[in-house]
Amino acid sequence: MTKTLLVTGAGGVGKTTIAAALGVKAARSGLRTLVVTVDPARRLATALGVDNLGNEPQPHPAERNLWAAMLDATASWRAVAIRHAEPEVAARLADNEFFRAASEHFPASQSYAAADQAVTYVQARVWDLVVVDTPPSAGGIEFFEAPAQMADLVGGRLLRWITGGPLPGRFLFNTAGRPVLRIADSILGSDLLVRVAEFLLDLRTTYDGVSRRGREIDATLRAASLLVVTTSDPAPVREAIRFFRDLPGVASAPRAVIFNRILPIEWAGAVAPPGTPAHLAMNLTRWAAETVRQRDTRSAFSSRYGARIGTIPWSLRPPTDIDGLARLLGDQADLPWAELGIPGVE
Amino acid sequence: MIDKRLIIVSGKGGVGKSALSAALALLAQRRGLRVLAMELGSPGGLSSHFATGPLEFQPREVRPGLHAMRMVRSDALLEYMAIQLGVRGIIRFGPVARAFDVLATTAPGIREIVTIGKAIWEVRADRWDVVIADAPPTGQIGSYLRAPQTVRELVPSGKVRAEADLMREALRDPSHTGLALVTIPEELPTTESKETLGWISDRDLVSKPTIIANRILNELAPGDAGSELVAATAELHRSLWAEQQEWLEALPPDIKIPYLFGVFTPGEVAAHLTDVLEDVL
Repeated sequence: MTKTLLVTGAGGVGKTTIAAALGVKAARSGLRTLVVTVDPARRLATALGVDNLGNEPQPHPAERNLWAAMLDATASWRAVAIRHAEPEVAARLADNEFFRAASEHFPASQSYAAADQAVTYVQARVWDLVVVDTPPSAGGIEFFEAPAQMADLVGGRLLRWITGGPLPGRFLFNTAGRPVLRIADSILGSDLLVRVAEFLLDLRTTYDGVSRRGREIDATLRAASLLVVTTSDPAPVREAIRFFRDLPGVASAPRAVIFNRILPIEWAGAVAPPGTPAHLAMNLTRWAAETVRQRDTRSAFSSRYGARIGTIPWSLRPPTDIDGLARLLGDQADLPWAELGIPGVE
Repeated sequence: MIDKRLIIVSGKGGVGKSALSAALALLAQRRGLRVLAMELGSPGGLSSHFATGPLEFQPREVRPGLHAMRMVRSDALLEYMAIQLGVRGIIRFGPVARAFDVLATTAPGIREIVTIGKAIWEVRADRWDVVIADAPPTGQIGSYLRAPQTVRELVPSGKVRAEADLMREALRDPSHTGLALVTIPEELPTTESKETLGWISDRDLVSKPTIIANRILNELAPGDAGSELVAATAELHRSLWAEQQEWLEALPPDIKIPYLFGVFTPGEVAAHLTDVLEDVL
């Protein structure tokens, strides 16, 4: 059975590189491993030392057991919905102005497409482990809420209200009997409501297919292990906290957190010896203060959320080949490897 | 910068948007302006920097002359209908409000125009000298700035369309609206900021943004380190500094904010930034 490891966290914390490193570690422990990213910055390709990655998983040229894929970041749930529509409806939807615009603006759009594609790989049963670098987004949690949001939009709760009840099929939108809609129509100065309703009707025909797929995606996400990546900066830590605090209701609770860009702990509280030039002594004091801040952040996190914590030292250049990636993680003895789906690591 | 009527502060997540929004508001307040600070992004971002409790839709005075509020879409929607569209009498009928809620969820641009419209309307109401909006991150700010245009494309006539036209002009007028783009000299924020600058100028949505680079390291003069620890911290600092120079060259900022080392409360951070801004603005 294919296991799934989701690597989440705020953007810019080194998530993609760490997902790649986890992939290498898993591959070297004998698991057939696929690493998937939607990172538009091509960080995964760079980290793995390969030229190009596409939607189709490619075997790594130098590493047995390792595959990688980069999902199309412009794909949207529009494509998913169209896939579940009758051909005639699909053609109408493809042209629909609301659908076009909504798929650009709907917050979960990219997350949904990414989740859908990642689940396709999990279902292919080709790999032992699929490591998913979740899309960078304002709230990473939306990745996990996307299936439900999608089904809700398509499901027609809005539709039932706007059209005033259960619907036989395509209908005649009549504002005459509904003064409320007439007012709305006059304010909007057009037949906007009619067009919205027609769009929602078309969308609703895809409901069965989309919600079935949504449940599959949801089930895979819930069964997956979750690893949160953060730095010690306040914003990414806030995001990491959200995963530990809010996620258990939506998906499985995170298993562990990796703090990236960690300063050597022996810097904490360090004082320069007498005779050190003042500006260098001041510099040491400043970085010592940063080290204390980082240490306090980690201990607050572990005592508050009971999280298992891994740390990765601050390196000035991210790895650009497989061996660099393998070294990046070190042994991380504190991480619950078996729970993360990577057993057999010594 | 603070001579504009509306300052929209955006940037990639985690670069310090809220802290800088708060600092801009505090600076304007220090200079005796009547200020409204609006929390449009994640809740608590702005209020924590004012060292005050959660904000509400109704503006609250958090310092003498400085009010702060939080954007609540359903409240703004009702207000938008009542005041901007003049349908005051009927908003008590739930169905109308719900009809708009449906539209706000489905029709693109409506949700965003309600938010951006609230900011512009507060400027027009003339109760404030300057309105400062702690806006959503760069990934989402486009749909807000584009909202008037999106709505114009969907709605050919009527009050909503007329409002959208006014908003578009207000956003493009450099004496009315300024966009402050906060960034840090690292790869991802720099790339994202440059992309944002690209489409802003291509689409002529708002006048040229002010770029504020946060967390700038000082240049460390050479010297005899003496101990290993001193040498190690100096080496890290110099490497990070050198890397920052590359990104600063790729995107030269208008304002540089020094790196703040150590442990500070959000309130202390905002006060410190206000002092820094006081010298450059």
